[in-house]
Amino acid sequence: MAKQQLSTQTKTKVEKTSSLKGTLASVFFLGFFLIFTWVSVYFLFLDRL
Amino acid sequence: MMSEVRKVDARDGKLAMAHIYVAFIALALGGLCGLLQVLVRSGKFTLPANISYYTILTTHGVLLGLVLTTFFIIGFQFAALSRTAGTLSDKVRFWGWIGFWTMTIGTAMTAYYILIGEASVLFTFYAPLQAHPGFYLGLTLVVVGSWISGFAMFAHYAKWKKEHPGQVSPILTFMCVVNMILWLVCTLGVAATVLFQLLPWSLGLVDRINVLVSRTLFWYFGHPLVYFWLLPAYMVWYVVIPKVIGGKMFSDSLARLTFILFLIFSIPVGFHHQLVEPGIDPAWKYLQVVLTFMVVIPSLMTAFSMFATFEMYGRSKGATGLFGWLRKLPWGDARFFVPFVGMLFFIPAGAGGLVNASHQLNQVVHNTIWVTGHFHLTLATTVVLTFFGAAYWLIPHLTGRVMTKAMNRLAIIQAVVWAIGMFFMSGAMHFAGLLGAPRRSAFSTYGNAPQALEWIPYQIAQAVGGAILFIGIILVLIIVTNLAFFAPKGETEFPVAEVAEEAERTPLVFENWKLWLGITVALILIAYTVPFIDMIQNAPPGSKGFKLW
Repeated sequence: MAKQQLSTQTKTKVEKTSSLKGTLASVFFLGFFLIFTWVSVYFLFLDRL
Repeated sequence: MMSEVRKVDARDGKLAMAHIYVAFIALALGGLCGLLQVLVRSGKFTLPANISYYTILTTHGVLLGLVLTTFFIIGFQFAALSRTAGTLSDKVRFWGWIGFWTMTIGTAMTAYYILIGEASVLFTFYAPLQAHPGFYLGLTLVVVGSWISGFAMFAHYAKWKKEHPGQVSPILTFMCVVNMILWLVCTLGVAATVLFQLLPWSLGLVDRINVLVSRTLFWYFGHPLVYFWLLPAYMVWYVVIPKVIGGKMFSDSLARLTFILFLIFSIPVGFHHQLVEPGIDPAWKYLQVVLTFMVVIPSLMTAFSMFATFEMYGRSKGATGLFGWLRKLPWGDARFFVPFVGMLFFIPAGAGGLVNASHQLNQVVHNTIWVTGHFHLTLATTVVLTFFGAAYWLIPHLTGRVMTKAMNRLAIIQAVVWAIGMFFMSGAMHFAGLLGAPRRSAFSTYGNAPQALEWIPYQIAQAVGGAILFIGIILVLIIVTNLAFFAPKGETEFPVAEVAEEAERTPLVFENWKLWLGITVALILIAYTVPFIDMIQNAPPGSKGFKLW
């Protein structure tokens, strides 16, 4: 019985509503921006030593 | 669910509105001064009638940095407490009014002495610049008034706790309490320098002042001051915005932890404003820089929480893909859009803050107009746009009116105008600062020095940006006047979000004030005691007062 039920299921692409992958990507972007700014001014500092 | 129709009591609304009126009058006057400043610094304009640039600069800083913020925050918090912890008692409201009038009289007094040219000492009132005693007395009244209101708020919270034993307080109430504790602890520093150093010195009771001690006490206050401005903006982000977009708070506990971390870490960090100051051992500066970087943690927690709130809402509406949820957000609603622009600007603002707080990098930007550009991102964009966005529902809620579609559209245009103006003004300030342009100074070519001539195009860009921002101020004043006096009568919601079902239950430990205050005081003592003793024991003779204007 169980097998029969399985075979009739159609495959639909379901995205979990609780997914936070966009948040993960956003905070990574934010982190890279912070590091980029810091490193840029750090090299300016080194350049002016 | 039923609580969502709750209104702020009309008598509490009156108290909140009184604060908000003063805040927006300060915005009008301070904004005008800001316009005059950028025009002077472009080199194409001189002030009429012998008005000093530094008088205008001081007026701008005091009215916008101290008056607009403190009044709006206290008004907003009284409304938030009334909304979430119940109508204020007659006694609390009475003391709220006493606080309001004390602050207002203090503001009028301070403004008077600045405008008659007796106190052009800028909003940081650094010694050895010496103002008229009336300036310091006026500021004292502003601080004392805010304390009175703060204690009134604590009394209201205590009453709620007594009536609800063992329960977690409403989150907005909790946040207001944290912010007022932060304010009370940090203003002790500025009260100490004003009462024990600056006032006796300006009255002529003592001849000389220990400059380093006065600056240290100022920055003990000055950095948490930034968080006193920022935390009400965070209240809107954490609690109001999720409701406005139709979603839920990501986590109540995370929001409370963020506020506690700000309380703990935002005070023992003042040395990062004094990194080039002689007389402080570098080891203590290093310790405070480390503590400053601890403040990054709650800031990043907030960023994460905001993204998560938006994504959870978008996905619940069927959004797919990595950033599909962005499209589901209510971009046409000023209550969301205006603070959202503020949030976006907090990204470069935070990045700049990390540069300022790093010892070596600070040498690149110290006392340059980069710093001015930085706090025009933090305070004058992130915080202020969030306050504007809050005013767009708070004022009609308190005055029994509704925002029309036309005003909503104007509010969105206002935020766009502000963003464009600030992009030019703050952007130019950052770049000019990297080229060495000083802050706190009027236009000068410094004897046609080639380096100073490099700054002029940026200073013109600042004037263009500043002029656009002034248009933004006119627009917001139109909207606020409309909402307070002319908008159609009706009911406007005070949005307070519920917590998402998946969130964990909030533990009571967040309201263990003995614990959090204990850690706060311990960190302050660790960070300040030894260097402070050193400043007093090994003090130079002290300085006479100077009036350079």
